[in-house]
Amino acid sequence: MPFRRFATTRPFATLGFVVVAWLLLPVGVKTFSRASFFELTAPVTVAADYARGLQEYWSLRLHSNHELIVAGRDLARINASYEFAVQQNAELQAGLERLEALLRLPSYRNYRLEHARVARRDFSGWWQRIVLRKGQNFGLTVGAPVVFSGGVVGRLTEVYASTAVVELISSPNVRLAGVIEGDTNAMSYQGGLNPTFGPPRGVIEFVPLDVFASPTTTKRLVTSGFGGVFPPGLTIGVVTKVEPSTDGLFKTGEVKLDERLGSLTEVTVLVPLTHE
Amino acid sequence: MRLTLVTALTLLLLWTLVAQVNHALAGLRVYLFVGSLFVTFAALKLPLRSGLGASLLGGLLCDANTPVTFGTHTLLFAAAHAVVFHLRERLPRDDTLARVLVALLANLALFLMFSFIQIARSPAPAVAWPRLIADLAGSQVFLALVAPWFFALQSRAVSLAGSSRELTV
Repeated sequence: MPFRRFATTRPFATLGFVVVAWLLLPVGVKTFSRASFFELTAPVTVAADYARGLQEYWSLRLHSNHELIVAGRDLARINASYEFAVQQNAELQAGLERLEALLRLPSYRNYRLEHARVARRDFSGWWQRIVLRKGQNFGLTVGAPVVFSGGVVGRLTEVYASTAVVELISSPNVRLAGVIEGDTNAMSYQGGLNPTFGPPRGVIEFVPLDVFASPTTTKRLVTSGFGGVFPPGLTIGVVTKVEPSTDGLFKTGEVKLDERLGSLTEVTVLVPLTHE
Repeated sequence: MRLTLVTALTLLLLWTLVAQVNHALAGLRVYLFVGSLFVTFAALKLPLRSGLGASLLGGLLCDANTPVTFGTHTLLFAAAHAVVFHLRERLPRDDTLARVLVALLANLALFLMFSFIQIARSPAPAVAWPRLIADLAGSQVFLALVAPWFFALQSRAVSLAGSSRELTV
């Protein structure tokens, strides 16, 4: 009879043993296990992305020469306008450096642009993150900002040997300082509202009382450059709603983020040059 | 040991496939969670030590690829394993339909537990629930569709590895 009683409680006794053993396990062992298990799955993630790339390549091969010629012509036009923008940018950069030297201003942090392919997207209601196909092998560092043509993507939270994880700005774990374009008052942005089939959204807090926005009169929210890793002026999203907060001292609001965050294939990591 | 490793390899395959489906669904803001598939077969058919070992390995695999406190999946899977293992003598565990039902109920419990643990991070928890409920509904439908295939795959993998004699009848 006692043996039978033990047999029925054996799974729970084992569970108790597992829980106690886990709690007593040193943090170093847990950190090592986490990195090991991630590295174990990294080749699977990268291989799946290569397979997708190959699939895309063969589907593109099916396009006719005429389509390729038209695409090449369109690309040449875009390249011409970009070349002009690059020249203007170089002039502006030179002007900025002259002013910094004259006024003895501290210069902005310099970044190296590292383009990376998105190997895996992971967009749950609990978190939003992507895995990049570059890591320590390309000098990526934890905390580096990640951007794309639509603005801020997020920041690197984990960097492994050949992959890196980006926590997106739509994730509730991401907080950063933003300003309304053309304004100087900073406010706090946090991601975390991600409805099914809808665009990702975030919330802003500590909005000054003189800021007004509605779905018809939106305001662009950009990075402030204060105390964070992001350079100033990068688009975070569009403020679609502000309303007075419960304390009446500030306002709170909602920010609509770029819908393309959910279908990114290429992003750019801004690797701070001071780290190198 | 062999039984644990073979089952863990099938779990790695499951994780890969679900990660690819979630990658494709990211643009629609739909996420599939099939945590119970990491547990059900091992808890219903394998001896306690081998089955729990496989479930723990599956949990570690999920933990390493998610931004949660390391051990969250592992301990939740271990708890689910213990409960299903405790009940398995009273279940027709060779019947596929019964296995799928167990998987659906376990998935519901795991999803809710996981949501209650994670929801505190959200800036507006009340707004997050509709999304989570939609994800749960999608996950349950997906699980009901793939579970029979996955259980058959696990049985076959165990047979091919020559460990089917170790399975509990």
